Amino acid sequence: MGKKKMEVPKKVAFPMAANYNYAFRYFVEQGLGARYIMQPPMTRKTLEIGTRYSPDSVCTPFKTTLGSTIEALECGADTLVMLFGTCRLGYYGELQEQILRDLGYQFDYINLATYTTGKNRDYFKAIGRVNPKVNPVKVVPAAMDTVKMAEYIDEITAQYYLNCGFELERGAYKRALNQFWTDMDRAASHQDIEEGYQRVKSAFQGIPLRKEEPLRVGIIGEYYTVQDAFSNLELEQKLADMGVEVHRWMNVSHRNLHYSGEKNLNVRVRDLTRFSMGPTSTANIWCARDYAERGFDGLIHVKSACCTPEIQIMPVLQNIGADYKIPILYLTYDSQTSDTGLMTRLEAFYDMISMRKKVIR
Amino acid sequence: MPKKNKTAPARGQLTIGLPRALLYARYGTLWLTFFEKLGIQTLVSEPTTLETLNRGSDRAIDEMCLAVKIYLGHVDSLVGKCDYILVPRISNFGVRRAMCTTFEGMYDICCNVYRRSGQKFLAYNVDVDLGHDEMTAFFAMAGEIGVPVNEALVAYRAAKKAEARAWKARLEEQEALAKCPGLKVLVAAHSYVAEDEYIGKPITDFLHGAGVTALRADIVDRKAALKQSEKFSPTMRWELSREIAGGICQYGERVDGIILLSVFPCGPDAMTSDIYIRRLKGVPILNLVLDAQSGMAGVETRLESFVDILRFKHGEL
Repeated sequence: MGKKKMEVPKKVAFPMAANYNYAFRYFVEQGLGARYIMQPPMTRKTLEIGTRYSPDSVCTPFKTTLGSTIEALECGADTLVMLFGTCRLGYYGELQEQILRDLGYQFDYINLATYTTGKNRDYFKAIGRVNPKVNPVKVVPAAMDTVKMAEYIDEITAQYYLNCGFELERGAYKRALNQFWTDMDRAASHQDIEEGYQRVKSAFQGIPLRKEEPLRVGIIGEYYTVQDAFSNLELEQKLADMGVEVHRWMNVSHRNLHYSGEKNLNVRVRDLTRFSMGPTSTANIWCARDYAERGFDGLIHVKSACCTPEIQIMPVLQNIGADYKIPILYLTYDSQTSDTGLMTRLEAFYDMISMRKKVIR
Repeated sequence: MPKKNKTAPARGQLTIGLPRALLYARYGTLWLTFFEKLGIQTLVSEPTTLETLNRGSDRAIDEMCLAVKIYLGHVDSLVGKCDYILVPRISNFGVRRAMCTTFEGMYDICCNVYRRSGQKFLAYNVDVDLGHDEMTAFFAMAGEIGVPVNEALVAYRAAKKAEARAWKARLEEQEALAKCPGLKVLVAAHSYVAEDEYIGKPITDFLHGAGVTALRADIVDRKAALKQSEKFSPTMRWELSREIAGGICQYGERVDGIILLSVFPCGPDAMTSDIYIRRLKGVPILNLVLDAQSGMAGVETRLESFVDILRFKHGEL
C-alpha cells in the first residue's frame, strides 16, 4: 500500500548542522531521488521557537535543531531524518518527534536511532524508508560524492579560518567562500563538486596575505556547537577578525570519516585519562594537548550548557593548562548567550594572550 | 586475563574506600560482600550532609550535576584514609543499555581532580560493547590489588548471591507497601537520589509524615522493567532511566500520583521527565528538580500542595 504512494517524491529535511546541509541535499537528491527542503539559515527566532517547546535543561543543540526542524516543516517538508549519537543525541529523535506530534505537525519521521542494533549495516535499512524504489547503482556513487563534498567543506572551512584574518584586501576570502557555498548548493554531479572545489582553491591561493608570527588559538569542544557558526555566535570569525590564526580539528572528516578510533587515540592520552570518558572526550583531550605541545598561544573550549561529556573533561583540560602553561578560555553557550557578552570575553582573552606572547618572547 | 599486581601491599593490611553516593546505592552489597569474602577491609564514607556537598562543590566543576558534587564530597572525605578508593566506570551493558556519560568519566574525573594528592583509585570498569562484563570488572579489580582470579571468582559468586537475596527482600518490601491502603505516591528517581541522606531522604520522610505511602520506581524487577520500557519509549538509551520507566509502567496504575524527582542538571532526566509528562495521561505528576538548596521550605510547599491535590481528587479534603 505504501509503495503505491511513492509516485510523488518525498520532501526530505534535516535540521541545520553547520555547513553540511549541502552534502545532505546532494545525497537526498542525487542518490535517493527525493526532494530536499532546505530551510532558511538559523536565526535568533529559530532558537526562540526551539526553546519554547524544549525541556529547560536539555543541551542547546536540541533547542536549535528542534527550531530548525519546525522551520523545515513550515517550508513544506514531509519527511524528517534525525541522526543519533552516543550521548543524549541518541534520544533527541524520539523526544523531538513527540514534541512535534504534540504540536500537531504531520510528517514521516525517520529516526536513525531506532535502527541501532549493534550492526552498522542496519542503518542502510533507513534508506528504503525515504524511497523504497531506490536504485543502488545511483546510491553508491552519490554516497561517495557526498563524503567527498563533506571532506571538501571541512578542508575549505579550515583554510578559511586559518587565513582570512590576514588578507590584505578586506573581504576577499569571504567572497571566495560564498562562491564555494553557492557551488556546493547547486552541485548536481561529481564534476560540479570538483569544479567548485578547484575554483575556491585557486581563489584562495590568489589572495595576498600578510602573516608574521600570528597568534594561534586552538578551538576544541562539543561536536555540534563547535562546528556550527550560528550556535557558537561566529566565534571563529570573531577571532579571525582580530587577527588570529584559528585552528579547529573537530569536524566530520576528522571525527567520523577518518577517525583513528577511540582505542588508538586513547593510547596517546593514556596518562591523562585511562578510559574513554564520552563521545568526543578522547579526541578533545588529545587535541588540546596536541595544540599545547605545538606551542599555541591559547585554547578555547566550547560547549553548550548542560553538555555532560564536555563538562567532565574540564578537570583534564585544567590539568593540561597547568602542565603546559597554556591559557584556556571556557565558553558555555545557552539560549541566552549574547553577542556582546561573548565579544567582551574574547577581547579580554585576546589582550591577555597577545601581551603574554610579548612577555614570553 | 589480568596479571597479578606484585607491588600491592599485603591483603590483610589493605583498606578500600567506598564513597556512599551514586552507584553505591546499586552495587553497595555486591562490592562490600566481595571484599569481605576476600578478607579486605572496607571503609564506607559517612552519609551525606551539607558539609559533604560543600566539599564536593569546591572540587567539582560548577556545571556538574548535584549528584556528582555530592559524590566528589564523599571521595574527598576518603582521600588519604585508604589505600584505594573504588570508583566505578560503567559505559554500557550492551545495545541501548548505556549509562549516563557521567559514569563513563567518573574514574578519570577523580584521577584528574586528585592528581596531586597521591591517592590511588581502583577502577571497576564495565563496558560490555568492548567485552568487559561485570565478572571481568571484578577480576580486573582483583588483579589490581593482587588477588588471584580463583579466589576472586569464589568471592564474586558469593557476592552475587548476597546481592540477589538483598534485592529480593527489597522487592518484597516494596510489594507489601504497594498493598497498603490509603494514599500512595510513586517516587521516580535514580536510586542515588532517592536514597541520599541529604537530598532524597527528607522527601520520602516528608511524605511518610504526611501519611502518604511512597513507592519507588527504581525498586523493580529489572528484566521485566527493561522489556516494558522498550514499549514505552523504544530508543531510551540509559539503563537506569529504562528501569525507572519500567517501574512507572509497573506501579503507575496502582498509585495516586507520581513524583519525578531529579537533580539539576541531570542529563538523562531532563529529557525523560519531558517524555513521562507527555506520554503518561490521567495521573497527576509533580516534576521536582533539586539543586544545592540549603533549606527544605520550598520543596515542602510543593510536596504539600501536591499531596493536597491528590487528597482533593479522592474527596478527602
